[in-house]
Amino acid sequence: MPNIRPATWLLALATGSWLVLLLGTLSQGRPLLGLPPDWPRWLLLLAQGGFAASVFLYVRLQPDALHGHGFLPLLRRLFWRGLVLTALMAGVQGFVKLAAERALPLPGDATAAVGYTISLALFIILLAQTLYVWRSLVNFRGSERLKREWTAFELILGAALLFQLLVWHVPDFLLLAVIVGLGLFGVYLSGHQRWVAYLSQGQKVQAIMLQLGVLGFLSAFLFVLRGAQHDPILLAPPTQQAFLVLTSSFAVFYAVAGLLVTLFNLPVADVYEQRRAEILSLQQLSQIIQRGQTAPEIYQALFTSAVQTIRADAALLDAQLQPTELPGAPITSLAHELTPADREAIRGQQAALDAPGQREFLDNDLPRSQRLTGLSRPYGSAAVLPLRSSTHDYGMLVLLKREQSGFDPEDLSILHTFTTQTVLSLENLQLAQEARISQRAQDELRIAALVQERLIPKRLPTDNWFEISTYAQAAKEVGGDFYDFLHLPGQRLAVLIGDVSGKGVTAAFHTAQMKGIFHALMQPNPLAKKERERYPDPHRFMVLANEALTHCLERSSFITASFYLIDYEAGGFSFARAGHCHTLYYHSIKEEVSYFRSEGLGLGILRDASYGRHVKNQFWDYNPGDVMVIYTDGIPEARNANGDEYGEDRLAQMLSESFYQSAEEINRHIRQDVQEFSKGLPLHDDQTLLVIKFKSAQPQG
Amino acid sequence: MKVTAQPADSTLTLILDGELDASSAVVLDTELNKPELLKYKKVLIDCQRLSYISSAGLGVFISHLQRLQDANVKLVFFNMQEKVFNVFEILGLDSLMNIVPTQEAALAA
Repeated sequence: MPNIRPATWLLALATGSWLVLLLGTLSQGRPLLGLPPDWPRWLLLLAQGGFAASVFLYVRLQPDALHGHGFLPLLRRLFWRGLVLTALMAGVQGFVKLAAERALPLPGDATAAVGYTISLALFIILLAQTLYVWRSLVNFRGSERLKREWTAFELILGAALLFQLLVWHVPDFLLLAVIVGLGLFGVYLSGHQRWVAYLSQGQKVQAIMLQLGVLGFLSAFLFVLRGAQHDPILLAPPTQQAFLVLTSSFAVFYAVAGLLVTLFNLPVADVYEQRRAEILSLQQLSQIIQRGQTAPEIYQALFTSAVQTIRADAALLDAQLQPTELPGAPITSLAHELTPADREAIRGQQAALDAPGQREFLDNDLPRSQRLTGLSRPYGSAAVLPLRSSTHDYGMLVLLKREQSGFDPEDLSILHTFTTQTVLSLENLQLAQEARISQRAQDELRIAALVQERLIPKRLPTDNWFEISTYAQAAKEVGGDFYDFLHLPGQRLAVLIGDVSGKGVTAAFHTAQMKGIFHALMQPNPLAKKERERYPDPHRFMVLANEALTHCLERSSFITASFYLIDYEAGGFSFARAGHCHTLYYHSIKEEVSYFRSEGLGLGILRDASYGRHVKNQFWDYNPGDVMVIYTDGIPEARNANGDEYGEDRLAQMLSESFYQSAEEINRHIRQDVQEFSKGLPLHDDQTLLVIKFKSAQPQG
Repeated sequence: MKVTAQPADSTLTLILDGELDASSAVVLDTELNKPELLKYKKVLIDCQRLSYISSAGLGVFISHLQRLQDANVKLVFFNMQEKVFNVFEILGLDSLMNIVPTQEAALAA
């Protein structure tokens, strides 16, 4: 601790000079300690001045007792000290009186002299305490200039102490002029009562009481000391008039002024100005932050607002652009009035400032705490605020002021609001970005769904020979079901339906591929000798499709498909089933609903020439009124709430109820029943349902 | 779904219990992927407690079919529920895979 030594020295000096003063006072009119009586007047004045100076300097060296807005504790402490000092003084005076009245075996003038000297010392101590409490109050939220003015006031008071020592014969008018001038200076300083504005109603009452108490103690001392000085029994030198008069009048005046301001609650304009500025700045900050599109803009807004509102002399903000724990993540760094070396010095001490889990804090005495040392200019106080959410550490804001006690808890709470707002905005930004990314993925999926939608034939083949009705519903955005039609020359129609195993985008890709394969294989073969051989029959179609898929289908995937080649000139169709659901058929002559139970292996399961043995070509001659229902497994495997499957039987039942209707009506009848069956449940699998009804009508024209 | 492996001499029996869908298919795939599987002459799949099989489940068997065949390991299914057998049948796998009614038939196959 660097200031123990001067403090000890001052205490020793005070004690020594007080002893000299006591002995000197006692020596008036009698020999003392073997020395001649009546020690010289200058020695006593010197001792008195020395005592006053050392007590004042000692109190001045003590750290500022004002913490934040703790005005009442400060006044209360002064009050109790004043009370103790006054009580001591009263005790001493009582004893002196007692000695005089009861004629104790003590020399009356000697007890009076000792009592007076003790009382004077107590008064000087009280004055010093009061003066420095007033200093804290005057300088509260004061400017640098006010602080310089205070120092000047102190210097002049000190000079007044020397008045009677050095200038032996001061003309009265000059002394008066100096005293009046200094008094006015004191009155001017007494105008600084900003602290009153920070008191609540209840606190004001308490403050008034405490100030009245302090005034009372001062008055008691003045009364006693003045009385003692006129006491004929006391042979003491005159007191340091100018200094004590000035100091006590300032002490009294400041207390009175404070009382008046507190009583009448006179507005202190610039305090309200500052308050207004803080509110404005906060508003601006939140507006900027709302507008801010990027993390650097938000940081810049925080930094500017914080520095301006708090009037920091220097500041540094180091923050991550993205909330990440990775070292080397991009960092934004903002500095105000700091050299690059200063920044590095602060960063070097960052670890000590930013203990994990620690909240923001103030250090109003940097020289003493030895925090943030090694900067190019000395700073007195610092405010440190981590930018931290519950999950992330964004960075840290450090604000510096040159003077000590530059920040108060009010500042910290404003800064806290700023940083909280900033962190909130950063998190919102993060959420917005994540939402954008997820939105993009959804958009792309929607585009995929649109593309797939385009692959589904929009224009159904129409002819008087048949009716076709289609229904398709994917369980997710994109599906694995597919179907397609193609009119071939010679009154033939190719129909393909299928289902890719698996779901999602992969399955959707393969549906597109199947469509490509279908259209490629359905190109007329120019080398064909017979008209019937220009296009592959269903068996050959499956073999070729299986071969085409061999190279691109993952090993665990397969495709089921049914392919029909309807020749409505001949009134029959050939078809092949590759692992796909059995075709449901209404036979109008037999008036019977049944499934075509045929064999056939799915595509992509056997990837060599042996596949051809596992798929068969079948033929069927249809009659007008026959109905063919082609579907994917999403229909019979639809589930209800109990987990039961819809089943082939119920599907057949639906056809037997509706076969006489149009293709569209049959389709609607079936799908409404399926939807009713799994009502309220999400679609479990893609569903496709095609109904082809053969008609008796002859082609017209 | 639960897969229990019962090795006995040259035969490995895998007992399937539950629904074989996309998520449980991974478990079965891991089991069938084990290199020591190829040391057996027969891999028997007990389907008595297999209540459902999805296309992803079928895909697992399909993807291992060729590998087991090349290593001369017979894959035999037995005790299959009708509902599950229908799925195999529709896809045409009954013509490709050895599906027998009982364990005795499977051991004899």
